[in-house]
Amino acid sequence: MRLFLIFLLGFLLAACTKPEPLYDTQSYVFGTLVDISIYGETQERAQEVSNQIIGDFQELHNRLHAWRPSELKTLNDEFSRDNTPVTIAPDIAAMLSDATKLSIQSKGAFNPAIGGLIEAWGFHQDEFHPLKVDEVKIKNLVQANPQMSDIVIENGKVTSNNPAVQLDLGGYAKGYALDIALASLRKQGVKNALVNIGGNIIALGQHGEKPWRVGIQHPRKPNAIATLDLESGWAIGTSGDYQRYFELNGKRYCHIIDPTTGYPVQGVQAVTVLISPQSNAGTLSDVASKPIFIAKPESRAEAAKVMHVEYYLVIESDSKILMSAAMAKRLTWLDTVAAKHATSAQP
Amino acid sequence: MLASLVAVILMFQQFWSFEHASQLKIRQGNKIIGTYDLNQTRELHIKGPIGESIIVINQGKVRFKQSPCHNQYCVHQGWLSRAGQVAICLPNQVSLQLMGAKYTYDSLNY
Repeated sequence: MRLFLIFLLGFLLAACTKPEPLYDTQSYVFGTLVDISIYGETQERAQEVSNQIIGDFQELHNRLHAWRPSELKTLNDEFSRDNTPVTIAPDIAAMLSDATKLSIQSKGAFNPAIGGLIEAWGFHQDEFHPLKVDEVKIKNLVQANPQMSDIVIENGKVTSNNPAVQLDLGGYAKGYALDIALASLRKQGVKNALVNIGGNIIALGQHGEKPWRVGIQHPRKPNAIATLDLESGWAIGTSGDYQRYFELNGKRYCHIIDPTTGYPVQGVQAVTVLISPQSNAGTLSDVASKPIFIAKPESRAEAAKVMHVEYYLVIESDSKILMSAAMAKRLTWLDTVAAKHATSAQP
Repeated sequence: MLASLVAVILMFQQFWSFEHASQLKIRQGNKIIGTYDLNQTRELHIKGPIGESIIVINQGKVRFKQSPCHNQYCVHQGWLSRAGQVAICLPNQVSLQLMGAKYTYDSLNY
């Protein structure tokens, strides 16, 4: 045993003298934690690139803020007031068009036009409080039926055919930012990086000789439930009821609202999607989990199919785990109790 | 013989999955406050944008004891002791990351 310990100590000392070329930095943007790891660059270079990416994130966050003065807030104010056409930047116009396309694809389950509902539930604050919601207000907001397709973009100017449209890109912006970061890293010649924005992660290259490895958080325990290797260009994202929520009379109200009922989704703890390399993998890792989260348990597989998601993992409120066969092959379980509850579904 | 082999494999898996952390990294904002040995009893006061977070290390485990944040998610996380575990207080921008001798994973999806 002593020999083993000495051996271990020697190994650790050897590891100390030869530091791994891994740079890791954390910062706070989009109201969440941003973690950037860069492998194989000098500390100075990695720091320079990270700072630039974090700067880009901060700028995007400021421009898309849903409840502080921003380019998006200006649009929302105008939609609900006179609907005077507002000139918007080309990149925001492209984001809105893309979000509209994804919203239609999801049959309205992913709906960034329901900012009014999110605000009514008190989630348009940095720190939210348990609240008894105004039921009449919710009903009216649902009936007003705000849709992304109500937005009209013409010659760089935006109007809305529905005064109830209030844009909230909370389920889109972080994923979009991952795509921006990946493009920026590649452009700057970085070969290996892992970018994590509030749990949404995209990989570039790998960690030395091995792929980047990510842990999937247990929705109710402070540990990872499983790990998987995130190969270059792949992205992973989770919608959970445990990041932004409040509890009232013993019931949990999470920030993910079903647009058809106007109420927070109940009955599911987490939906994780894994997205294969494609130009908008980051965006899809953010967006595609929502329709599966909102769908009824028997319709989750269908919702995944509609979003072209092959790899997904669902943790229902009763701790039952449902996953696609493709996802099952990718996971290494850490939580043996959870693994027993897992069943594979057809993708 | 077979039964004992299975038991050993199960124990090994259990050990691998839930390896006890030996070190703790605390960050505030983009700064690393420090890396601490988990095998001690110690209380740390970390200043962030909304006040002071109190972190307690107690012989192999650590937790947020007190936080100036409203929702108290960080405090509700409770004790952490396994390598790879993370607790974050977003409002006060304080994060705890547990590390072991063995590599667990690079980043957490949550």
